[in-house]
Amino acid sequence: MPHACDYPFRMIEASNLKKSFGAVQAVRDLTFQALDGKITGLLGSNGAGKTTTLRMICGVLQPDHGSVRVDRAIGALLDHIGLYPRLTARENLAYFGELRGIPASQLTQRIDQVIRQLGMETIADRRTAGFSQGERMKTALARTILHSPQNIVLDEPGNGLDIPSVRALRASLRQMRDAGMCIVLSSHILEEIRILCDQVVMVAGGRVVAQGSPEDLCRETDTASLEDAFVQLTGRQETLECSATH
Amino acid sequence: MLSHALIVARKEIRDHLRDTRSLVSSAFYALMGPLVVGMVSIAVRGEKSSAVLLSMMSLFALVATFVGGMNVAIDAIAGERERRSLLPLLMNPLRRRDVIVGKWMAISVFALAGLAVTLVGFCLTLALSPQLLIAAGVALVPLVLFAAALELLISTWCRTTKEAHTYLSLVIFLPLGIGMFLIFFPHVASAWFWFPVAGQQLLLDLLIKGSPVPLLSAGAIDIVSLTSAAGILEAAGKLLQQDEFVYGG
Repeated sequence: MPHACDYPFRMIEASNLKKSFGAVQAVRDLTFQALDGKITGLLGSNGAGKTTTLRMICGVLQPDHGSVRVDRAIGALLDHIGLYPRLTARENLAYFGELRGIPASQLTQRIDQVIRQLGMETIADRRTAGFSQGERMKTALARTILHSPQNIVLDEPGNGLDIPSVRALRASLRQMRDAGMCIVLSSHILEEIRILCDQVVMVAGGRVVAQGSPEDLCRETDTASLEDAFVQLTGRQETLECSATH
Repeated sequence: MLSHALIVARKEIRDHLRDTRSLVSSAFYALMGPLVVGMVSIAVRGEKSSAVLLSMMSLFALVATFVGGMNVAIDAIAGERERRSLLPLLMNPLRRRDVIVGKWMAISVFALAGLAVTLVGFCLTLALSPQLLIAAGVALVPLVLFAAALELLISTWCRTTKEAHTYLSLVIFLPLGIGMFLIFFPHVASAWFWFPVAGQQLLLDLLIKGSPVPLLSAGAIDIVSLTSAAGILEAAGKLLQQDEFVYGG
């Protein structure tokens, strides 16, 4: 079975990450690699430590222990997708483009390009105050990829989106992957992970319990579906934790 | 980097210029002083009326330095956190100090505009000389910058806009309280000259009486106000480094 470590290029590497908030250990010991030209999915139950891990990868949380190596520019869409309601979608993008240091001569062109890529032509010049959840998510995603990052990190990107928006998002992510970008996303929705991800990192209790392609994980656990594999692998982890406690 | 701070400031100013309701409420606050003093000037007649009116004017001018930027300050950090746009902003390659400085500049611009409206209002209602109001405006600029910094620190510290609104409304009592204290207890004035708000109150008092203003002392209070503002901004920047203030947990 090919393992992530066998690939020559690892664009995001998280090594032995640990993070606690007071008495709560959100991430206990988490190591994984995400590769260029692949979509890597962090799969875990609520509270498994996915969001905290992604925040550490993006540098907005400092790990208590361990390290993160990100080779190139990163664009992140975490669970905070707030926009400026009195600015249009285009103005929201322009603000972030300026802060990212995109030269003024290229910024308008790049914004137009991203708007076309995400199919935002009809909403680009509207103030974001009345946007639906899907429109907000699209604008936030456009903001994330505006500076053409090589690495993309997305936290539960399908949350609140309707079916056409989810399909459009998946198509965009595949397009970016095929362009050689390294994409890491988290989800607790098995179907989303199964359809979209080339590499799955299963997380339970702040630890990685398994990683590999969805097919590899099914084969390893001798199960027919990713759901069964997830239950078996995370169940095994819970058993281990119980044994360690007692 | 100053360019990042300027980008933040420009966005904040453009954003808040579109907030009509906030602008109207700030304008009402700014005109409150001239309107109240104007009404009192009609009601009060007699020898001491002029002194009373000018004392009231100085008090309202001090309050004006705090109110013009209040709505912008509430939205600056507490608002960003509440609408969940703070984290994406901080994920850009800019120092948190630049975010603070940019927002402080924007708050100061609105506060200065509020102060200008108040002083022009006084000029019209009390028929004061423009020279006096320009001198008062110059004396109050450092206080505006200090007030903007203080309001931004409170906005950074508060979790929600509601909480920020509560505390910032209380902050208005700072110039009001100190100003009234110094009006009723003028004999303690010299000891207070070094404190922001009190120092400006005493400067205004001298200007209104037409007494010579000691330039060294005026410069000293300006330096104290600006240094305090810098220290407060530094503290706000440090708060913004902490996870609990970014995520609002």
